Amino acid sequence: MKKLIDAVKNLVIGLLTTGKHLGRHAVTLQYPKEKWEMPERSRGIVVLLSDEETGELNCTVCMLCARACPSYAIRIEYEKDEKKKRHLKDFIVDYNVCCFCGLCEDVCNFAAIKLAPKYEFSTLDKSDLIWHTDKLQEMGRDVPYEKPVRKKAVAKPAVKPAAKPITSETENKSTAGPEKTTEDKPVEKPETKSETEQPETKTPDKPEANVPVEIENKDENDKPAGEQI
Amino acid sequence: MEITGIFKYLYEQLVATGLSQTWVEIISLVVAAVIVFGFLAVMALFLVWWERKVSGHIQQRFGPMMTGWHGWRQTIADAVKLLQKEDITPSTVDRPVFYWAPIICFVAAFVAYVTIPFGKGLIVSDLNIGILFIIAITTFTIISLLMAGWGSNNKYALLGGMRSAAQVVSYEVPMVVAVLAVVLFAGSMSMVDIVQSQAKIYQWYIFRLPFGPIAFIIYIIAATAETNRTPFDIPEAEQELVAGFNIEYSGMKFAMFFLAEFVNMFTVSAIAATLFLGGWQGPWLPSWMWFLIKSLALVFVFMWFRWTYPRLRVDQLMEFSWKFLLPVAFANLILAGWMKYSGWFNW
Amino acid sequence: MTAPGIHTEEFQVNMGPHHPSTHGVCRFILTMDGEVIIKAEPVIGYLHRALEKICENRTYQQCIPVLDRFEYCTSMSCNEAFALAAEKLGGLEVPERAEYLRVIMLELNRIASHLIWFGTTSLDLGAITPFLYGFREREDILDLFEMTCGQRLTYNYIRVGGVAKDIPPEFIPKCKEFLDKFDAKVDDYERVLTENPIFIVRNKDIGVLTPEMAIAYAVSGPSLRASGVKFDLRKDDPYSIYDRFNFNIPVTHNGDCYDRYLIRIAEMRESARIVRQAIEQIPEGEIAAKVSMNYKPPEGEVYSRIENSRGEMGVYIQSPGKEKKPLRVKLRGGSYNQLQVMPELVKGHKIADVVAIMASLDIILPEVDR
Repeated sequence: MKKLIDAVKNLVIGLLTTGKHLGRHAVTLQYPKEKWEMPERSRGIVVLLSDEETGELNCTVCMLCARACPSYAIRIEYEKDEKKKRHLKDFIVDYNVCCFCGLCEDVCNFAAIKLAPKYEFSTLDKSDLIWHTDKLQEMGRDVPYEKPVRKKAVAKPAVKPAAKPITSETENKSTAGPEKTTEDKPVEKPETKSETEQPETKTPDKPEANVPVEIENKDENDKPAGEQI
Repeated sequence: MEITGIFKYLYEQLVATGLSQTWVEIISLVVAAVIVFGFLAVMALFLVWWERKVSGHIQQRFGPMMTGWHGWRQTIADAVKLLQKEDITPSTVDRPVFYWAPIICFVAAFVAYVTIPFGKGLIVSDLNIGILFIIAITTFTIISLLMAGWGSNNKYALLGGMRSAAQVVSYEVPMVVAVLAVVLFAGSMSMVDIVQSQAKIYQWYIFRLPFGPIAFIIYIIAATAETNRTPFDIPEAEQELVAGFNIEYSGMKFAMFFLAEFVNMFTVSAIAATLFLGGWQGPWLPSWMWFLIKSLALVFVFMWFRWTYPRLRVDQLMEFSWKFLLPVAFANLILAGWMKYSGWFNW
Repeated sequence: MTAPGIHTEEFQVNMGPHHPSTHGVCRFILTMDGEVIIKAEPVIGYLHRALEKICENRTYQQCIPVLDRFEYCTSMSCNEAFALAAEKLGGLEVPERAEYLRVIMLELNRIASHLIWFGTTSLDLGAITPFLYGFREREDILDLFEMTCGQRLTYNYIRVGGVAKDIPPEFIPKCKEFLDKFDAKVDDYERVLTENPIFIVRNKDIGVLTPEMAIAYAVSGPSLRASGVKFDLRKDDPYSIYDRFNFNIPVTHNGDCYDRYLIRIAEMRESARIVRQAIEQIPEGEIAAKVSMNYKPPEGEVYSRIENSRGEMGVYIQSPGKEKKPLRVKLRGGSYNQLQVMPELVKGHKIADVVAIMASLDIILPEVDR
């Protein structure tokens, strides 16, 4: 008998618990009319950032983002001029495979690529999901970003810490992982390069920028950018 | 044929115009049927919308909002959509059985309204075996469930159909016994008589302790099982058998099952309101409004149950019915009989 | 069970890959005698995405977003398991603040994952409302994650060497606000389900997992603790900084579905306690060791394991030395073992119990199939 009374009591308590929600206001948003305010770090579509004054892309075709992408979604087509400097022909992002991980944004030293908090880009046709430079740049025009502070070049050559071969200096310290904030990208990722592959021609690094653990990256000649594997 | 209620009014009007007897009867029957059917169709539409809103607000969301003010046109939109759907009939089904199952379900749901009083004098026909007629008609749904299960030629549908037939049959018995207690006390099976024996609020059968509330609770539980609602909705257990007996139905046939379920829900609420809550009686407001208020309150209780409780397993459900509800219902009946016989409770 | 002279046959029912209650695409071939199940055979592989092979062609930092998808309900744990293994290989030291941030994120993710479990369990049993209540709380947690790392489900936040970004200043007040109301919400959930007689009768004495069977099948996590074996990697093989926090390990002894439910509800409360302590104690500092994009650990192999909300999650990495890509990555997920023990548990029960047992074991197919 006691079990019966307990059972009935608990059934009624259950009813009252759901019943009290009838009086509460709904917690949902009516999507097309009301939209959620996205946080600033929200990782939405990949956009290319341009300089505010000149309107040109910040991208220097260093190919780091294409190499960092785990889904091979970024494809960069470039041409080299007489001074072996690269100029961008086409920057293609394939949203069919992009996983919005943000590694491309993390490795970029020039604030050229960012994942903007925009998410409304569904289309009816798969081929519309492959975006080229113009669309990427246009979507990136109103995205705020912090321009990385570029230090003036210090006198070369860098004194390398002993026992490290000159060529394979550290990685661009565009460490994919650890960064304090998105803003202060430690820009002095200077590497002296002597390999043809190495993208930057920047000022030499300071000793403490060296990564304590990993050393060479001799084999930078894997996938030249522009090829999907 | 007894002529009472709306029917009577129509009948007299038509006789006055001088048509022959058979024609008068036929015309008045057709008109009454159309009125009741129209009311119920609108009620089914309203109930579907209301269920979605109630469930939405219990879950702290809105429910339909886009089609009209708070989505009141949603059911109409759904009905139009279902009409446009392709009516897929798998090739291996047992055709006559497959086609007739939803029709029987639909018809059985509506025929029960012949003896339900919508208000004072608003009844199609006050049969003197009113409640017995209703119970007999609602058992037709069992046949249609079995037909749907068998005719679909599908293991899941068969399992669903058999289970639901077992469930409905098991819960018919305590429901009838609970209703019998009320009939015993009222002394008549006619619905109008039962309502009139609850003239004052303290005479309502739900308040006639001790047998009244027990009979009411048994009736509500059994009615939940009859209409296949949670916690007894094994036949529609989406999570286990993916829609049970109506797995092969699409388009308008599915719509018929679906609407029949809501009409059934309103039927059992209306019966409960009539038998236990005093029918159409109440101060100030017109009688049909009281009837609607009471029925819809009970429908709300059914919806509340659905969105709160998990579902019972089929053997637990049967065990509950035969081993618990039925003995309690019988004991209740005996108690009601004693109360009537002793004559001390006739207030 | 059958009357003499009546011929009955067993029949096979396919609880197919497309099913609303098999959490993911899992197929069961059930051999039944009436309503009772005689044999259940799981067929898996519908969600195999070759994650281990993909990781062989990615650098260590690139593996992290790939492994986010290993078990997307607890993506932070996947990141952590891999990061711990990679750090152990290279002997990296993770800064204090990063460790605290990791613990906060891991425990919040555990709560979020248990809320999914709670919702889907009650949904499978027919009570649809607690699903939405659980997800309402989960939205708050996901908002916290979104404000930190930008994503709501696959975070790519815990990297090799530390974490990706520091928490913004509004994180801690919002987290405290969430924790303050969370206990009352869990009480609400308990009021709807825990003492509900229908819920009890569906779950008590269903799918009893004895401790011997659990250990034999290497079941881990809450399912193991519900059978009476007090084993939790956070206490028994502490990783990260779990030894600095005060928390209990709930254990029950019956091993049925109801116990597994009770354990997970209790775990949600304990995780909230841990997060509260971590927020109090978090120091300032760096958030990551300096690790390059092409991290090259020395040669070796390592296996590191963590306590996920579904059991032990382990990552085994074999590195050829001075290469930026691992040679072999092997993943271990707790759901695999629990799926293995399911055919034993469902024998003799009815088809409705298959759903209840699967829900209570908290199996997620991506962890099984990788």
